[in-house]
Amino acid sequence: MGLIFNIGLLLYFKYFNFFYDGFVGILNIFGATASYSTLSILLPLGISFFSFQTLGYLIDIYDEEIESSDNLLEFSVFVSYFPKILSGPIERASKMMPQVQEKRNFSYPVFVDGLRQILWGLFAKIVIAENCASIVNPIFNDYGNQSGSVLLLGTFFYAIQLYADFSGYSNMAIGISKLFGIQLMRNFSTPFFSTNISDFWRKWHISLTTWMMDYVFTPLSFSLRNYQKKGLIISIITTFVLVGFWHGANWTFVFYGLLHGVYFIPLVYSGKMNTSEIVAKGKFLPSFAELIKMILLFILIMLTDVFFRVNNVSDAFDYIFLIFSNGLFSFPLEVLSSNYLITIVLLCFFILVEWLHREKLHDFEISRYNFLIRWSLYVFIFLLILFFGKSAETFIYFQF
Amino acid sequence: METLTIKENISDVLKSILGHNNFEMRDELTAKDVDGWDSLSHMMIITKIEEAFNIKFKLRDLNKLKNMGSLVAVIQSKI
Repeated sequence: MGLIFNIGLLLYFKYFNFFYDGFVGILNIFGATASYSTLSILLPLGISFFSFQTLGYLIDIYDEEIESSDNLLEFSVFVSYFPKILSGPIERASKMMPQVQEKRNFSYPVFVDGLRQILWGLFAKIVIAENCASIVNPIFNDYGNQSGSVLLLGTFFYAIQLYADFSGYSNMAIGISKLFGIQLMRNFSTPFFSTNISDFWRKWHISLTTWMMDYVFTPLSFSLRNYQKKGLIISIITTFVLVGFWHGANWTFVFYGLLHGVYFIPLVYSGKMNTSEIVAKGKFLPSFAELIKMILLFILIMLTDVFFRVNNVSDAFDYIFLIFSNGLFSFPLEVLSSNYLITIVLLCFFILVEWLHREKLHDFEISRYNFLIRWSLYVFIFLLILFFGKSAETFIYFQF
Repeated sequence: METLTIKENISDVLKSILGHNNFEMRDELTAKDVDGWDSLSHMMIITKIEEAFNIKFKLRDLNKLKNMGSLVAVIQSKI
């Protein structure tokens, strides 16, 4: 009953009009003329996140992973814990409920670490994501009149914007939570420093990926296990289509998920789907082969992100087609403008810090640095936020 | 079947799926301790184990597997 109730809420609030449109479209194909009007449904904030969290709670109880709580306050805190309610991470009951139930003691190192994560999250959102947005929005809003090289730049900056926006929120949510003594799971682990798509999804939106792996992929691949690699591929593609669909009731998201699922096929057949390592572990620079793999993967992801950004699938194909048909190798003079140059310099700093901390517990884990370096970085980042921060648009993931 | 024999058979399955034997077959061993044993390779390992011991797992069995000791115990209960 609980599963039906929660999935029903999600389907009604988020997907009712999508399925209703599809149903009427099918009727029209078969010659029936159906007039209809969709409902004006106000989407409750964070519905995808608290639905998944509650579903996970119920499944874990059914699987005897945890015992049900008879304390309404504890359950309410778990479901609607304010730092993560709008954009996750999607927490597991088995990890979070004990933290809610037990008495928490103040820890100075954890508190300070939380503040560091909040600072880095703010920098990622207000400086990186918003400066990228100021480049991305004019390109995507008028993509038909842009050269291929500018369109390509648009995809590059959008991929960074999406990452900085969402990982920025996650870092802030995790950081704020640390101030209250509750450890939320890591949601991003420098995903662009990945060498294959499987590795990427182990580092991107980790809480959603692991949720889908545990509650969708595992049961599905278990039931299809006798089909070996074919069963695995069907399970992966189904899981990723649902990952896409989770983001919104739009075919663009379905395509986004489908493409990511399809990218796994070569890995499944080559037997390399399990390789997940920190790139250039213990070294300063990656090898040439690692660098090439990271760049190729990034290009693939940034082109796929076009489906995430535009309003319909045909726009996405148009955009990608125009990249390769309209002056791809022309020099984009726009990069010489101050807006581009400032953003590129800020981006270099952002990428450098992320690269240096790819083996750490989070992107700005600098507790081992000496006092002078730590405080110089705090002041420097604070000044960057002050001088180069832009008025924040709403977070991209708030719509989900 | 002897615990030792079961472990040897599981070890053979892991080697054939993961392509290495960089693990020690102790009761506390978890998937996280073994390179390449993740959610994607897990089902292939489970299928091979089912074939090797001529048994069938239930999904609930899988969810309860915490380490090598519990895997051996589940297999023993099904042989």
